[in-house]
Amino acid sequence: MRYALFLGCTAPTKSRNYELATREVARVLGIELVDLPDFECCGFPLKSVHHESHLLMAARNLMVAEREELDVCVLCSACTGTLTEVNRQLAHNDVLREQVVSKLGGGKGEYVFGSAIAVKHVVRILYENVGLDTLRSKIQKPASAITVAAHYGCHYLRPSEIYDDCEDPEDPHSLDELIEVTGAKSVRYSERERCCGAGVLAIDEEIALSLAQKKLEDVRSSGAHAMVLMCPFCGVMYDENQARIEARSDATYNLPVLYYPQLLGIALGIDPKSLGFRLNRVKADKFLERVI
Amino acid sequence: MNDFATILVVDDEPGILSSCEVALTRSGHKVDTASSAEEAVTRIRQEKYDAIVTDLKMPRLSGMDLLRIVKEEKPETDVIMITGYGTIQTAVEAMKLGAFDYISKPFTPNELRSVVTRAIERRRLTREERAKARRTRVAFEYVMPDDLYYLPEHSWARMITEDVAEAGIDDVFQKTIGVVNRIELPSIGAEVEQGSTFAQVYGAGGKVYKLWSPVGGRVVEVNNLLTEDSSVLNTDPYRKGWIVRIQSSDLRKDLANLIDGDALIHWWVKREIVERKTSKYVKVNVLDPEFKHDIAKEPGGENIKVCFACGICTASCPIREIDSRYNPRKIIRMALLGMKERVIGSDFIWLCSSCYICTERCPQGVKFTEVINAIKNIAVKEGHVHPSFVAQMDILAKNSRLYPIDDFDNRKRESLGLPKLSTGEGSAGEICRASGLLDIVKRKN
Repeated sequence: MRYALFLGCTAPTKSRNYELATREVARVLGIELVDLPDFECCGFPLKSVHHESHLLMAARNLMVAEREELDVCVLCSACTGTLTEVNRQLAHNDVLREQVVSKLGGGKGEYVFGSAIAVKHVVRILYENVGLDTLRSKIQKPASAITVAAHYGCHYLRPSEIYDDCEDPEDPHSLDELIEVTGAKSVRYSERERCCGAGVLAIDEEIALSLAQKKLEDVRSSGAHAMVLMCPFCGVMYDENQARIEARSDATYNLPVLYYPQLLGIALGIDPKSLGFRLNRVKADKFLERVI
Repeated sequence: MNDFATILVVDDEPGILSSCEVALTRSGHKVDTASSAEEAVTRIRQEKYDAIVTDLKMPRLSGMDLLRIVKEEKPETDVIMITGYGTIQTAVEAMKLGAFDYISKPFTPNELRSVVTRAIERRRLTREERAKARRTRVAFEYVMPDDLYYLPEHSWARMITEDVAEAGIDDVFQKTIGVVNRIELPSIGAEVEQGSTFAQVYGAGGKVYKLWSPVGGRVVEVNNLLTEDSSVLNTDPYRKGWIVRIQSSDLRKDLANLIDGDALIHWWVKREIVERKTSKYVKVNVLDPEFKHDIAKEPGGENIKVCFACGICTASCPIREIDSRYNPRKIIRMALLGMKERVIGSDFIWLCSSCYICTERCPQGVKFTEVINAIKNIAVKEGHVHPSFVAQMDILAKNSRLYPIDDFDNRKRESLGLPKLSTGEGSAGEICRASGLLDIVKRKN
């Protein structure tokens, strides 16, 4: 398996632990991740304010991948949603495709989009392309002593129509199954579909942090030892901002927040130092003691 | 007004006055009578009535005069007109002035009781909805698609061809009759006059409600689905719930007697203000009926007009749980009403977190997340940009990333064994310049 690695804006600066763990897990599983220096912002931040700019930025990245004839492995759920949606739009709308390609300096019929390149979130690749059986066969250190709460976030699942309704956006299962493959228990908790609030962090911090806190409360009530997620923006809300949330409400969560490749990496027997755990804001030492 | 109301019946014919009094008293209502509009005016200034049932044609002050006085002095009182003419012109004029409904002579005690019950039910609904609105902060509205012609609070007509119109009941009517148990449809070929009965429905407790035809002509088709499943009238009164198709000899003339969708919005807004419910709407004179069409032209905004205001979007919204300023249903209703400046100039449109829960749950397929994006795109074009977006666009244009990478970041990446990333403007700046986005940013800066 060979993919162009699309890091997006947040992961390489705010969630390097996620990037480190993904690269390590890919290496162990034999997935080749190719860095393309021409990848830039996916265009998601512009969708709500200037549709055309967002379309052009997303299309440009897709054209970079298509030129290299590489499917795209994405770390960020918002980037996944944006690139998937634009990839579909341009594949099915000939007029729009030619307009966009022309504006980006491409020739008529030069790019196909759609079937030419697949855009997939790294967790979806692990679930669908690597598969649970393969993962299960490679587990070295089952994390059977721990219980975690899966946070799917929004754009990994929604809008479901751009993902061909591949799983129920109200009751998803892929991350839970991937967690259980590691030997850990995935606990159910209320309001699993709740958004992390990152989308409004720059607009209204109070709302964003309140929203994140609601989920921290729900996860704490579930008795989980940690939260497991797959989007760097969600990581910013629950890991980076957890101390601020605690400070503003006198609450104490001390809830480790792991990216799924970190959990999988442990179970695959990879040294936690290589999985970027020291970059986790909420220290996961006690959590790791339970696992290792 | 509870289940029983205090009602004033006004008619110059003693026989009708007496029969109305008996019919309504037997239903448990407290009934006063007046044999002239003048006497009625004196009474309404002394007593508080929930409803007034008045004859239209009376010597000196007419029923229409009385209606005007009641709406001026006691706007919360429902007025039901008794007409011996049954002409839509008179009825629509009365309804435009705020009459709740009308009944045509001759009428049975049951017909009178049904229309009074409907008035009571509307008041109860309004009261409940207000309480709910206070509790949940979800505003309520009745839904009136703008491509129809209305006999207000009763029936609607949709032009299908130059001489054929479809007719059904409107949202206010369906909500006030409650669950429809059965409908009696006209025969194909039957002739109906505008304003006369074209069908009747049976509600709870065997109550019978006559439906006034919004247009006159020959019935050419009836909706047999309704005889199999009359609940469609409650669930989808404007589409699957059409009742008849009527071929009219002069359809345009009939439609001219009705109120069309855009005008109805103004009618409703005016009525809200007349009835002192000013909290819902404010500036009537700044409505822009094109706003919803502009939104529909934007990518993702296409479905805005099929919103039925069920409120699932609002109930599902995680942001609204925390801050009631962000209310998807209210925003979409404001947009449909044409409150463009209020919407695009607001702070609340920027509060969407793009979680898409509303989009997933909307039974009508309205992609509200995309609708709000369409609204924000319009806002930006017209110079309304949230400051945080100005900053983000500026950073993106200069760095091609939301979080710029500099030499320090790359050194740190290298120390972790991660590859260096490109720095500098990249392509995003050129894209933003070519699309005109940077001009917007510059203007705001």
